[in-house]
Parts: sequence; C-alpha cells; structure tokens
Amino acid sequence: MPVQSASLRIAMPRLVIDDLEIEVPEGTKVIEAAERLGIMIPRFCYHKALGSAGACRMCAVKFIHGPFKGLQMSCMIDAQDGMVVSTTDEEAVAFRRQVIEWLMMNHPHDCPVCDEGGQCLLQDETVSGGHGLRRYPGRKRTYHDQYLGEFIAHEMNRCIHCYRCSRFYQDFAGYRDLGPMQIANRVYFGRFRDGPLESPFAGNLVDICPTGVYTDRSSRYKARRWDLQRVPFLCIHCSLGCSTVASARYREVVRIEARFNKSVNGHFICDRGRFGYPYANLAGRPRRARVDGEDASLAEAVRAASGRLDQISMNAGPDAVALVASDRCSLETLAVLKRISREKGWTHPAVFPRPDLEHKTRRAVSRLDRRLAVSMRELESADFILAVGIDPVHEAPMLALALRQAFREDAGIVVMDPRPVSAPFDFEHVAIAPAEIGGCLSRITEALSALQADSAAQGKETRRPEAAGPLRADLDSRIAGIVERLKGSRNPVIVCGTDIVRDSTPDRAADLALLLLQLKGRPCLFFVLPGPNSFGAVLLAESPGRSFSDVVQDIEQGKVKALLVVESDPFKNFPDRERLERALDRLDLLAAMDYLPTSVVGRAHIVLPTCTVFERGGSFINQEGRVQRVEPVHEGGVPVHQVSGGGHPPRVFSHEVPGGEIEAAWRTAVEVAGYTNARDNLSILKIMAEEHPGFARCRDIPTSRSFRVLPDAGDRPPVCEETGDGAAPEAADTLEVVLVDRFFGTEELSGYSPVIQNADSEPLVFLHVRDAEPLGIAHSDWISIALEGGGLEVRAGVSAQMAEGVLVIPRHRLLEWQKLGPVPARIPFGRISKAGKE
Amino acid sequence: MLPQVLFQNRKPRRIATMEEYCGSGGYRVLEDIARGKYSPADICRIVGEAGLRGRGGAGFPAATKWMSVPVDGAYPRYLAANADEMEPGTFKDRMLIHVDPHTLIEGMIIAGYAISASKAFFFIRPSYDSSAMILERELERARQAGYLGDNILGSDYSFDIILHRSGGRYICGEATALLNALMGKRPNPMKPPPYPTVKGLWNRPTVVNNVETLANLPHILRNGPEWYKGLARTKTGAGTKLFCISGKVNRPGCVELPIGTPLREIIEEHAGGMRAGSEFKACLPGGASTRYLTKDLLDVEMDFDSLSAVGHRLGTAAITVFDQKTCLVGVTLNLLQFFARESCGWCTPCREGLPYIRDLLWRIENGEGREEYIPMLRQMSRDVWNAYCALAPGAASPVESLLTFFEDEVREHIRLKKCPFSRPR
Repeated sequence: MPVQSASLRIAMPRLVIDDLEIEVPEGTKVIEAAERLGIMIPRFCYHKALGSAGACRMCAVKFIHGPFKGLQMSCMIDAQDGMVVSTTDEEAVAFRRQVIEWLMMNHPHDCPVCDEGGQCLLQDETVSGGHGLRRYPGRKRTYHDQYLGEFIAHEMNRCIHCYRCSRFYQDFAGYRDLGPMQIANRVYFGRFRDGPLESPFAGNLVDICPTGVYTDRSSRYKARRWDLQRVPFLCIHCSLGCSTVASARYREVVRIEARFNKSVNGHFICDRGRFGYPYANLAGRPRRARVDGEDASLAEAVRAASGRLDQISMNAGPDAVALVASDRCSLETLAVLKRISREKGWTHPAVFPRPDLEHKTRRAVSRLDRRLAVSMRELESADFILAVGIDPVHEAPMLALALRQAFREDAGIVVMDPRPVSAPFDFEHVAIAPAEIGGCLSRITEALSALQADSAAQGKETRRPEAAGPLRADLDSRIAGIVERLKGSRNPVIVCGTDIVRDSTPDRAADLALLLLQLKGRPCLFFVLPGPNSFGAVLLAESPGRSFSDVVQDIEQGKVKALLVVESDPFKNFPDRERLERALDRLDLLAAMDYLPTSVVGRAHIVLPTCTVFERGGSFINQEGRVQRVEPVHEGGVPVHQVSGGGHPPRVFSHEVPGGEIEAAWRTAVEVAGYTNARDNLSILKIMAEEHPGFARCRDIPTSRSFRVLPDAGDRPPVCEETGDGAAPEAADTLEVVLVDRFFGTEELSGYSPVIQNADSEPLVFLHVRDAEPLGIAHSDWISIALEGGGLEVRAGVSAQMAEGVLVIPRHRLLEWQKLGPVPARIPFGRISKAGKE
Repeated sequence: MLPQVLFQNRKPRRIATMEEYCGSGGYRVLEDIARGKYSPADICRIVGEAGLRGRGGAGFPAATKWMSVPVDGAYPRYLAANADEMEPGTFKDRMLIHVDPHTLIEGMIIAGYAISASKAFFFIRPSYDSSAMILERELERARQAGYLGDNILGSDYSFDIILHRSGGRYICGEATALLNALMGKRPNPMKPPPYPTVKGLWNRPTVVNNVETLANLPHILRNGPEWYKGLARTKTGAGTKLFCISGKVNRPGCVELPIGTPLREIIEEHAGGMRAGSEFKACLPGGASTRYLTKDLLDVEMDFDSLSAVGHRLGTAAITVFDQKTCLVGVTLNLLQFFARESCGWCTPCREGLPYIRDLLWRIENGEGREEYIPMLRQMSRDVWNAYCALAPGAASPVESLLTFFEDEVREHIRLKKCPFSRPR
C-alpha cells in the first residue's frame, strides 16, 4: 500500500470485509462499510436514520485481525485501519442462526394473514438464516394488542423487540406516547392506554418495523407486495415535495411508503402524505364527462367546451374567458394553460386564491437563489434556526422533523409566530402578531448589518434596511437575544412561511438571509410555500399576477362570462361563500376539469374529468425550486372493485378499461384549445421548455433525478414595495383574524381521504387567555362569532402560548369558516360571545 | 483476632453512631482534606498505591476508574454509590449500612473530592428501605455536623449526597443501567464508549463505585497504602473483604476477612464448618453469576487474581455452599428463573435465550428432559456470551459449570425421568 499522508489515513480507514478491500470515512460502522461493498449483513435493530442499538445481535460477524477479535456486532464497531472481517465465518453464521431461533421462539408464524408477509425482514432473515425447524418445546408468549388510531394496526405478538419503533418515535421524532414497557421477555411496545398515536409521523412505524407489528390499516388485507404496481413517487400534500413510493393494485392506489431522498425528506414522511392518497380512489370521483347535466363522452364534452368557449370569446371578446388553476396542478398543466391563454387571448390563469398569497409566493420565489437556498437535509445541520410566520407541524410537517434533528444536535430554534405553536422540540416562542414579524426581521437585519459595518467587511449588496416601525418595548430584549445568537452561530438558517405573514415579510427574510450569507458564507434561506406547485405557478405566471379574487370581481363587473376551472376548488378557499355562488351563477359558461368531486364540479355546465398524478405522472417544483418528475403508477380507469361491485374475480369483461378514456388535465386542455399536434409527451416537454427556459432540462434528465431551477443570484430587493406592513392599525377592542392551515383538514387532497377524516378531530378557534378572560371564555367553550355577513359557532381554544390580540381560525373542512361571510381583518370583541351550546 | 477495618465499630444489634465513628478516628481524613492536606490527585495516588479494587464484582482498580475522568472534563461531575444489591447470596452492602453508615458517608465525600464531584447519589435497592431510612437520618446528621453541604468544614469544597431508592430491578445494579435509571430512563445498559467517567449522568463525567469500595477509603487514607496492602493474605491483593456465607454451613453470615483467606478456612473456621450430615459438594464463590467451584479447589485463596487463575471469579464474594443432598439442576433452574426474570429486555440473547435455557432446565428437573437438551444448553450458554452486557454471561456461568462438573447428575435426571434428589411422595 502506498504511504499516504497521515491525515488522510486517519480520515479514511481501510479494511477488508470478506476478502474485499474498502476505504470508508472515519466513524463508519462496519455494517455500513459492508453495505457499501454490497454485502448486506443481516440486521433488525440497525437503521441508517436511527443508528446502532446493539439490541438484536443479528449483525454478528467474525473479526479476524485488527483491534477487535472474535465475534462482534458489526453495527457497534467503527471501521478501523487494518481490520479483517468475515461475514461468512462458521461461528458467526451459527450464532446468527441461534439469534433467529431465539427471535422466532415466540413469533406467531401468522405470515399468511400478516400484511408484512412478502416484504418482511424477519421472514427474509429467517429463511436466509436457515432456521427451518422448531426446537423450542415451550409455549409462546402472547400479548394484548392496542388500538393505536385509524392509521396503524398493532399486533404485538409478532414483535422481535428491535426497539426501532421506540427509537424512532421517542428519540428521532420526539413524541412520548409510544414506547417500551415492562422488562425481560415481557417487554411491550405500545401506549400506556389504547388510543390514537399523538405523533403526526407515526405512519413511519409501518416502514421501519422489521416485521408486522405496525401495519398500515388503510391498506390492510389488500395486497401482497409482489402484486403491487410500485413506482417511486412524489408527495403533493404540501410544498416540501417529499419522496414516496406509491403502490397500486386493480386500478386503485393501495399504499404510500416513504422513499429515501438525500436532499428532501431523508427516510421518513408525515401521516398526511402517507394516508392522504385515497382521494384518487373515491367512488364519487368524476369519471364521466358531463354536458349540461347529461353524461357525455370525453370527446363530446371537449367539443362542447371548445365550441362554447370560442363562441363566447368571439361574442364578448377573448378576455371574457378566464382560466382558474391551482397549485396542485402539474407543471405540464400550468404550462399548457399559460400557452393557451396567451395564444387565445383569454385571461391568464389565476392560480392563487388570494392576491396576498400570490404576491408573497412571487416575492419568495424571486428572492431565492443558488447562494441562499438550503434543502431540508442541509437545514438539519444548522446550529441556529429562526422560523418566522410558520407553524411547522401544520404547514410543512416534515420541516418539524428536520428541525427536531437540528435540535437533537443542539441547535437553537426560535419560532416567531402568533399561533399557539407546538412542536416536537424545545424552542423559544416569540408570540407576536403577523404585522410585527416583518418589523422584527428588519430590526435584526439592522443590528447585524451594524456589526458587519464594524467588521469592515463591506459587501456589495448591502443596503440600508428600511426603517423599522415602532415595536413593543418587551420585544427589544428578545430581539437583542436573537441577534446575539445569530452572531454566535456558524450556520444559521432563516425559515419563512408565506401564509399568515404580511406581504413584505418574505423580502425581509431574504434581506436578513443575504446579510447572513455575507457574514457566515453559507446558504441560509428556507421558504415554505402555500402548495405543492406554488413555485412552478409563479415561475409561469404573468405579471402582474392574478388571483381568484380578481376573477370574482371581473365576473361581478360583467367582464368575464366564461370560466374554465382546472383542478381547483374556489369554494375551498374563497372567504365568502354566498358571494362566490352569486358570481358563478352570473356566468354564461362554467367548465370544470378535475379529478376531485368538488363543489365546482357539482355546479359546472361542462365537466371534463381528469387523471390524478398517480395515473399520468407529472412535474412539480417544491419550495426550494427543486423540479421533481414522476411516472404514473397505474393506467387509470375505474377501480376494479367499483366496476365489479366488489365481487372477486371481476365479472365484467371488455377490451377497454372502464373510465379509461380520461386524460391528464394538460392533455384535455390541449384538446379544448384545439392543438391537435401537441398531444404526446415530447411536445409537452417542448411547451414547458418554451414557457420557461428553466424547464428545458426536463427533456434531458431521467425522472429519477431532480434539479433545482434557481437563478445564480435572486432579484434585487424591491425598491419601494411596502404593502400594508408595519404596525397594523391597532384598535383596542378588536381581534386580528388569522386564518391558518392545520395538519389535517385544511389541505385539499387529503381532506377527501376517509381514513384521515376518521382520524381528524374537531378544530378549535384559538385566542389568548387575556383576550378570552374578559369575554368569560374558557378552553373548549363554545363561542359564537356573529358578523354582518354571517356567523359561526365553534369551540374555542384558550392558550397563553400565543400572541395577544389575534383570533386564530383554521380553514378547516369541518368548520365551514366560509360561512363567516366576507372575513374582516379584525373582529370587534363585541362580536364574539360565549354560546349556550354544550 | 483478625483485623476488623470496615466492621471495626460493629456493635451487637445496633448501628454505630456518628460519635462512635468519630471516636474511632472517623472524619479525620475529611478534616485533613478541609485543611488542604490532600489534593484530589493525592487521593487518587494513595488509593492507587493501596491497590484498592472495586468490590462490586468486576474488581476494577478504583483509582484507575477515577483517573479516567478527563482532566478538562465538564462540570458538574457526579458520583454514584451503587447499593442496588440484588446478586443472590450477597448482603454485604446492607450489613455495611447497618454496622457503620458514616464510614460510607465519609468514603463518598473522599471519592467525590478525588473526582471533583459536587453531587453524589446513593442508589439503593428499594427493598432495603430500613437501610435507606438509616442513611437518610445519618446523612442529615452529617450535614448538621458540617461534613456535607456547602463549604465543608469551612473549606471551599461543597458536596452533597442524595439518597435515591431504585425502581428495584437487578439490572439497575449494572453501572450504565444505574445511570439511566437515575436519569429517569429505562434501566438499559449502555455500551461504552463513551465511558460514564467521560459522559455519564446528563452527559457529565460520573463515577459509579460500589459502597464497599467507598467504605475502604477513609481507612486507606488514615493508615496509608502500605498498611492496607499488608492486610491481605496474598501478595497481589490488598485490604479486607466482606464475605457473605450462606448455604449448608453452621454459621451463615457476613464476616470481614483479609482478602486471600483460603476458601476452606472460611468455611471451616469462620462459618463454623458444614452442618452435621452435610458434606461439601460445590459452592458459588462470588454470587449467583459465578461458576460452581468444586471440592478440589477448596484450598484456593479468595482473591481476584488467585480465583481467576483457576477459571473462577471472586465476584461479590458471596459464598453459597451446597451439600451432597442438594440437586444442582434445581439450584441452576432457580438461578435462571431469577436471571430470566431480571433481564432488562434489551438484547436477544438475554431476553429470549435465558428463558429458553430456563425452560430446558425446568424440563430436565421435572422429568421431561431429553439427551439433546444437553448440547443445546451447552451451545446456548456459550452463545449468550455475545449479549449486550454482562448479565447474560453471568447467568450462563452456573449453567456452563453445571454441564462441565456435574454432567452425570444432569444425565441422571434425564435417564430417571425425574430428579434423583426429590424425596418420594
């Protein structure tokens, strides 16, 4: 071996495993080094994300030379120079066979009725380890199982006590309600009492359990793994874009699992992403095209829509036709809609429900660049995180898990948000009203740039931050504390939400991040956007932007006569339901393209059903500008059991797939527009590349790879864009209304999932204890909010861990907050009272 | 009369008071420390020279353990006194507390000073509640006398002892499991590195010592290392040892003897010899997790090195004596029932392997044995050595030695399809 420099040799120990030599970074466990060589040492308790435990003793190998000798656990020993290891040594193999026998002593051998069968690590290791005959003459241990909620089935008899579940649940994810109890061979993994698991990441137990203790209830008894069509997939239930594996059988999505992604989600996903899929299987999904209430073939409906839209654009001018899309549309769909609206002269698509959301997303996207953007994995190595205007668990769940990993490595976390934020890590909560957040950011930037001026490191891009508005005195010391911690940190990250903050807050967050980039030399900006493709939507949007509120105004003023609503449900997000209904009634034509049974589909003149991403694939851009494309999981069409009425095997025979004529939204849109030469996948990639040069790479790279569409340097900060920021007009006797998202119940797609509907709980409207007391409201009291335009009776949550002077209302499915009528910015105390309802 | 060190203040049927302890020279070392006679390094050096080895079972040199606390290690540092005495046959810690509690308290303060700890935990088995109450009372007295608390005896050294009643499981006596238990976690052992002396309680340097080890400290410092070494009857040994003798002897009990006293002498003289009609068959020389020691080794000197030279362990020096009428399969089954129950449940060999062994032994003892169980038992008692901590290897020691020295007795069970020692019904 050539003599290397000492430092290099220390950094890269070289060892021999089964006669193969390998060099690995220092600190790599032997089990991991073997895996790099393609040698899969059997294991149960070891997991890359959870680390070594040394509990199962399954990874025993023989150490022949080096600092360790004899039988040792390969997960417990760091690879060191000069080690010679045999994984096939007779002694090691015999010991591993003995471990399997021990583990199988009490296993119920119920593989035929176990959902894990066929994808079970215990099954694999038992067979490959050669433990076939039972010697143990004693009786088996049995346990009672628990009800752990709607998502996960519990079957403790199968447990082999690898402690992966408790290590994930308690150590990795930070929740306490599931863990080991009792000792010796009675150790029980469960909750103190039956009940739903509290962690929104509990679904990962299904993935990490090496046998069938925790199985997915939503897919129970539906398929063996080898029966499934499995495709690497993408989660579109929030803006993070986590990697998943989607499985389908009989034209039905059956199961979602987490897929490792080294940049985005790591090994895990959240329960919304895992159990939100059943929207694609709904019996009530629009499967047949409809024209004026009558079923029609897709071609007829396309012709009708095409003809009527053309007629209206001829009679009333092309801009009387307006398009509405949403951020759950794929990039393909958004690009096609943009092309059509431009070429036809139709009013370009409104993607965002509110103008402020459009504005903030646009500002966030335009400020993000290659120098600033951090991925979620990079965020985990931050040593100080300032999160503003974001409730991580509810708005971007996996972000909360990433923040927890940073916290476990001793990172400091400050959350600046008015809501009663709770998260699985310790953090400093600066509970201030949305209006104050921007001011705080400016103050921090100001203080830090003063520091930079002192250190004489004059960056090119420094500019005087706008004068901060007056702030509450008690905030001063906390801001000073944050500034100190930012100063002292090596790798700080600014996380900024876009939902509840004021319009200029993303810019202020970016200003601070730019300054930190100059000070620390590391990327440090992480935005959370409203939806799975918000980033793509603003990249493709015309300027000035358009939101659905503008569309409603145009309809009311008679400017818009026809509306083509593509994969969007304005009823979900428009704050005044009655006004929306009146407006839609004025239209000459309401055409809806969707795969969800939305209210708009219910009242549309023409319904053009579309395919889900599961059926046609698609591209999405996550909140850090990462373009991710997925292939379809299955062909589409009505699920077999819906066709056959649940009978098995299916009794309906035909050459055509029932419901198989429907297409992806972009393709149907192409047909409606009459672009007959743009139907194939190649031309859609061409259209995308033409609509945004950043998408040209989609043609060149395989779907398994993602890429970021970020400029080298983002927009210059806006010169004078100050929209309603600073101190809000304080009125002592009013509460500021803050409409917020929740983990379950506000996201559109998962809202259609029956399993999530069953698991979801009644939402609370939160207010601060000092605001509640004068009104005589206690926690979980019913309150009524009466406004001119409507009213609401809800249960109130009272918290001291939130900002004063705000009323936090979740846009929850069960709450029907749209009944409030036009939601004012502030509600007078007099409008809120305790309701008599019990 | 043999030199009595730890038991020098032993009074019939009562506990030595603080005054009596002081009268015998107690707290003199602490006063010297307060006057600045010893630095922490001095204490480590003297105890190292005295050759004091840990009395909890493993026999690790106490001073070496203290000195593995990094010089630049974080503060606060902790000391934990291990009185979670659950090894079957062992009751020396309990005796110590009931004989002379202040020798323990002074020992803890000295050890705490040696490692610059500011707080100590006295981790005691909950079924020793009467002992815990004694300690609580005596700790308060020591506090009032200024031996504990802030600025001990006017010095700038502050130290206090917190008495903690354990949850009451055998595994809590394992040093790392003890630390987890103290922190309110499950008492699962933790494999070093990091060693507790580097990262122990709440990630601070922590030393865990057996209470008997700690009780030796005032005497070593008072009389010097040469005196201490001279107490032993072997060349490599040092000091005295509390032997707990039980089983078929005339005077079972706890006696303090020079380390290295021959086993035959302990049984014949200090335990009053075998009971009438009983003949020595075997004994467990150091608690339930040591191998059976047979007649041919009766003259062995009871010290760490001399026992390990003949393949045995001194352990906790709890000698349980069996006579020719005792069924050793039954004894082993009894021990395995204990160990299988007391596994923490962390690793497979211990959690599943010990109940497996217990089941096979139960079958052999109850007439359901088969010849093939013998190689299975032999293999499994070897395989459990690959467990996470030392509990399972300890539990396997009686099984392995049963099969080595008394295989015929086991085969007799299988052949007769019953226990040959059982009385006819």
